[in-house]
Amino acid sequence: MSDIFRRDPRAEWIARNRLHPQHVPQEPLVLRGPTGLLRKNPHKIGFIGPNGIKRIDRSGASNANQLGRKAAKQVEVELPLHQVDSPDFNILVAVDAVGGRLSSHDRDTLGLAHTLANKGDEKGAVIAVFFDDITEENLETAGIDSLIHFDDKGYKSYNPEQRCADLCELVTTLRPKHILLPDSINGGADLGRRLAAKMNVRPACNVWKVTGDQLICRGGAGKTDITRPLSKLLLVMEECSEPVSDTRHQNMPLSVDVNAQCQLKIQDLGNISVDPNEINLAEAGFILSGGNGITDWPKFHLAAKTLGATEGASRVAVDDGFMPRERQVGATGTWVTAKVYIAVGISGAIQHMQGIGQCHKVVAINSDDSCDMVKRADLSAIGDSSEILDELLNLMQGDTGLSEQGNTEVKYA
Amino acid sequence: MVADFLPNLISILILVSVVLAIVGAVRRVKLWRQGQPSTIHWAGLLAIPRRYLVDLHHVVSSDKYISNTHVATAGGFVLTIISVVLIYLLGISGSILNYALLTSSALMFVGAVFVLLRRRNPPANLSRGPWSRLPFSLLIFSSSFFVLTLPATGKLPADTGGWMLAIMLLVGIAWGVGEMFLGMTWGGPMKHAFAGALHLGLHRRQERFGGGRSTGLKSLNLQKDKLGVEKADDFKWNQLLSFDACVECGRCEKACPAFAAGQPLNPKKLIQDMVVGMAGGSDANFAGSPYPGVDVGTQPASTYKGGEIIPIIDVLVPAKTVWSCTTCRACVQECPMMIEHVDAIVDMRRFETLEKGQTPGKGAEVLENLKTTDNPNGYAPESRMNWAADQNLAVFGEHVQQADVLLWIGDAAFDMRNQRTLRAMVSLLRAANIDFAVLGDKECDSGDSARRLGDEATFQRLAKTNITTMQQYQFKHIVTADPHAFHCLKNEYQDFGGHYDVYHHTGFFADLVKTEKIKLDNKKELSLTYHDPCYLGRYNGEYDAPRYLLEAMGIQIKEMERSKTKARCCGGGGGAPVTDIPGTQRIPDMRMDDAKSTSAEIIAVGCPQCSLMLEGVVEPRPDVKDIAELMLDALSVQDSPLEISLVETHP
Amino acid sequence: MLKDISKTTSKNIKMSVLISVGEHPLSARPRRAEQDARALELGLKLAPESLKILYAGSTGDSAATEVLKEYMGMGIDQLEVLDVPPKTDVTLPLLEKLQQDCPDVVLTGIRAENGESSGMLPYLLSEQLNMAMVPAITDILCIDKTTGFAEVLQALPRGQRRKVKVNLPFIASVDMAAAAPRQSAYGSAMRGHLKIDPVTRTMHDAEQEQWQISPAQARPKRLKIVKAKTAADRFKAATAKVQGGSGKVIYDNKESAEAILKLLKDEKVL
Ligand code: SF4
Ligand code: SF4
Repeated sequence: MSDIFRRDPRAEWIARNRLHPQHVPQEPLVLRGPTGLLRKNPHKIGFIGPNGIKRIDRSGASNANQLGRKAAKQVEVELPLHQVDSPDFNILVAVDAVGGRLSSHDRDTLGLAHTLANKGDEKGAVIAVFFDDITEENLETAGIDSLIHFDDKGYKSYNPEQRCADLCELVTTLRPKHILLPDSINGGADLGRRLAAKMNVRPACNVWKVTGDQLICRGGAGKTDITRPLSKLLLVMEECSEPVSDTRHQNMPLSVDVNAQCQLKIQDLGNISVDPNEINLAEAGFILSGGNGITDWPKFHLAAKTLGATEGASRVAVDDGFMPRERQVGATGTWVTAKVYIAVGISGAIQHMQGIGQCHKVVAINSDDSCDMVKRADLSAIGDSSEILDELLNLMQGDTGLSEQGNTEVKYA
Repeated sequence: MVADFLPNLISILILVSVVLAIVGAVRRVKLWRQGQPSTIHWAGLLAIPRRYLVDLHHVVSSDKYISNTHVATAGGFVLTIISVVLIYLLGISGSILNYALLTSSALMFVGAVFVLLRRRNPPANLSRGPWSRLPFSLLIFSSSFFVLTLPATGKLPADTGGWMLAIMLLVGIAWGVGEMFLGMTWGGPMKHAFAGALHLGLHRRQERFGGGRSTGLKSLNLQKDKLGVEKADDFKWNQLLSFDACVECGRCEKACPAFAAGQPLNPKKLIQDMVVGMAGGSDANFAGSPYPGVDVGTQPASTYKGGEIIPIIDVLVPAKTVWSCTTCRACVQECPMMIEHVDAIVDMRRFETLEKGQTPGKGAEVLENLKTTDNPNGYAPESRMNWAADQNLAVFGEHVQQADVLLWIGDAAFDMRNQRTLRAMVSLLRAANIDFAVLGDKECDSGDSARRLGDEATFQRLAKTNITTMQQYQFKHIVTADPHAFHCLKNEYQDFGGHYDVYHHTGFFADLVKTEKIKLDNKKELSLTYHDPCYLGRYNGEYDAPRYLLEAMGIQIKEMERSKTKARCCGGGGGAPVTDIPGTQRIPDMRMDDAKSTSAEIIAVGCPQCSLMLEGVVEPRPDVKDIAELMLDALSVQDSPLEISLVETHP
Repeated sequence: MLKDISKTTSKNIKMSVLISVGEHPLSARPRRAEQDARALELGLKLAPESLKILYAGSTGDSAATEVLKEYMGMGIDQLEVLDVPPKTDVTLPLLEKLQQDCPDVVLTGIRAENGESSGMLPYLLSEQLNMAMVPAITDILCIDKTTGFAEVLQALPRGQRRKVKVNLPFIASVDMAAAAPRQSAYGSAMRGHLKIDPVTRTMHDAEQEQWQISPAQARPKRLKIVKAKTAADRFKAATAKVQGGSGKVIYDNKESAEAILKLLKDEKVL
């Protein structure tokens, strides 16, 4: 595709001119309301701009943009390198880095650290502490100036006491101005509090905003906001700050001689394999849910097993005895929060829809394309449920073969 | 020789059995007196004959066959006994008396023949065992006295039959008297006559006689050392007496929706188990239908022989039995002996919840929510009025201090389905220019489900909170679309000082239609049936207002076979959807089948709970509409306010 | 997976459960704190006989007493109360109390439902008492007093579990994923007994007084920010947000299976 902008002034002009006979409004801005009056829906007008503020474009250019222009190709820009040569102070961040990758929570934490480091006249350096291997590919853009890496075998398992002792020693040697950890279930919350107790400082937990010398943290299990002075140790929440995105950083490895000794009272015996069906529905991340429209229950169970999904059910399926009561999803059953919720043969009673309100992605497999579930779903497959499940199972089998192939390729490469 | 000897022997026989019967009676009374104290209504004893003839027969007469049979048998029996006692014990003789005995025993004989005929192929709800023996005992008793009296009336020569007959008569009378006199107080089928008569007189709810109604649950003193009923002796003494009155007729069993749905509850067996708990014996001797899915004689106490009183739940009766009940009161309505099953069930639930903390299913969660948010689903209390954000309702304490009508919203406020009903109600009230206001966020759950789940503490707290709130405002009536709240406000808040003039919306609207404040368009051609909500019908006797309204819309109601007093529950009462005891089918499905068999396209309801339960039935099924919704559709547009007509013309 | 606890758990385990007065997230009414109640449930399951239940806080207000009764409704005859005045740190009195009692296991919730709700208490106690600290447990599999070890299950995100061996004595905070607490029965709640211990040494929390506390503000939803270099790019990013209708509907079985699989992979649930 050509990356030259090609304007079509005529199309733009038609798009701008609502009175033009060829003008096609994107969607009718004015509708006849239930009382017969003409009503304008103010929510439909305009769009949210990049800084979260609603903008109304009266020039018609937004239409013009779609109609009249071909998109220009994105050009990858090399981001500028941020360097701190002789930092006035340090900020220590201990990231979760589960599986060696930075989570968005980690990135937000680093983003906050970067903001704190560049707040005043003095320039600080962000030092990130990694335990275990690092597999992250986009380390450069995370906002890490220096990097400390503990990669002994011991760090592969859950050893919070050792990590805490290490951090403690780092704190004594590096004397950071602030210490930041993500307040997360993936380790940060635990490690941060251990460190606070060991160092005997009062941490600010559940921090979600830092402004100037003040910070706001959630108290009362999320019911209150506490505004208090900026503290030394911060356990921060997700989205506490924007992640760094427009600079590259040095990731300079820092070798500090840490030789913390401590008594290890906890020993990791490893994760235990949890049968997806033993996971509480409310906690499950991936649910395959069956309803009245299922004719072939053994196939449903097989599909759940193959996909590794936790099984759920609609009220009717439970009433009819196909599924146990504790598997019922909905306002009268369990409220679920799955990342992906596949509803097979569930038309979507209102109580059921209430119960899946917090699911991230909903997939409907249904024979009726007018049902409420299909309206809610991000993806709908219309047809006979057992045939679609069959296809899915076939595909899964082929797929496992494929991905093995894929793996070998990677090895050779 | 025979002629002299026989009467003497019979006198002795009767004397002995009367004495033994009295001993038995004393023992029985002692059993009842194990119970807790309760008011004794002595005056009721005088009313026994009237109550038997009027109130009891009012119930029995729904089955003409058995009511006539019972009149003949019982009437004949009572007259026979009087004559026998006069002749053989007091030695009074005379031909009038002889003829009286002859006729009465003949009458009883005829009755007994019909009893026997009925029992040839007994339906499943009748008990067998001793109850199958009873018709024969009745026949023998009556025929023996009949034959015995024949010579005395001169119809037969004195010596007819000789010794053979004399001995046969003697055996017959011994058997008959044994069954009738001893059985009455020592625990045979005839016990129902003795206990039943006393129970009619000393009934715990005296208001029920003479056409009255008493359906509110009795309140519980929360300061007591034991809350609710754990063992038989925790019941009131008159409840124990009432259990003894059961005739095992199984009418309750036939009416019970939980039983029909295959849930482990049979009200008849429950009452019999209470008798076992009080008097000993074994539930293995029970000769009727078991709790569905629970084998008779498998409970730990099936070998219980009396003596030390044992706990009822999980020993004598499985816990899921008492939790299956929807408190629909169909059993109470049908029971000829006016036994109060629901009271007994709730009493036992109270112990389970308040003392053991074992409300099954989602019960614990619902009760916890009621404690912390005043609504069963744990929604934010201040979101109670969210449904009415566009309704501009006058709220007591915010906009007004007084209004003619307090509109009680109930928990339908949180349910999207029932919000439609609420909106319809608001439009109708506006159309009729009624001055009404709501309590807004200050309203709490009425406490209906808490109370029926056995949590009397939460119920009392909610009731007292609501009463205190309402005290601050002036209103003449309360109107609500929720029969459960209606029942609580009307009948159960009285114990805590809340006396209100409460209307169900159908009753209130019926008055408005009658006085032409609301005009309904009567040209609707709807194929429609009406489902009586238990808490409106059986609990409060309102069968007519909803039907009046439907007819005022020009609708011919296609009545279901089970309607009015015999209406089948939707399965939504008494916290049954919360405890969720599995059966072989679901109660709402059965009710929907009832509706489908009328081939109606719409099933009209008057209760948010019924709407939810019936709408939960898988389609295709008739549409479920609240009467308020139907009325709004049928509202005459000519002279109603502009606002309404707009809605009507631009749907 | 789970061994029979009665066989593997030694007798005479001394266990203490720390409870607090919770607060309903919507109505803000006092209630049993959800995690603390789960801790108590776990305690009742493991050591119903030798369980000590501790509450540190003010007994002055009747709402707190009501909640303590609710805990006792779980079948507890006696509950020990350290009568700490309001706005006072409870760590010190609890520390002294636990030093006296020397329990093998201390269970508590992860964080309080009101106040600062920092979740520091178990960590401070473990540091001071030199006990191990295991966060977010769901169950205790066994406690062996002779070898001095216990095995516990820890909650990980999305229903996963980790098994951990820990030295006795230890403190554990109990996760929401642990077994739900039993129902509180009104009868035993009313008849339970509060044993009130006066507290001698307390520490006034002066720092908290400078904080401003307000009802939680709704946090703005993060928008997809595109750091664009030109106005046109910025504009495109903004309009992209405007579009995006409802879900995709597919009528072909094979195609739908592929689309579903792709979605599952994109969401990384496979
Ligand atoms: S109240 Fe209804 S459900 Fe309960 S026992 Fe009686 S008939 Fe059955
Ligand atoms: S309880 Fe009443 S209805 Fe039921 S069997 Fe006994 S007498 Fe008949």
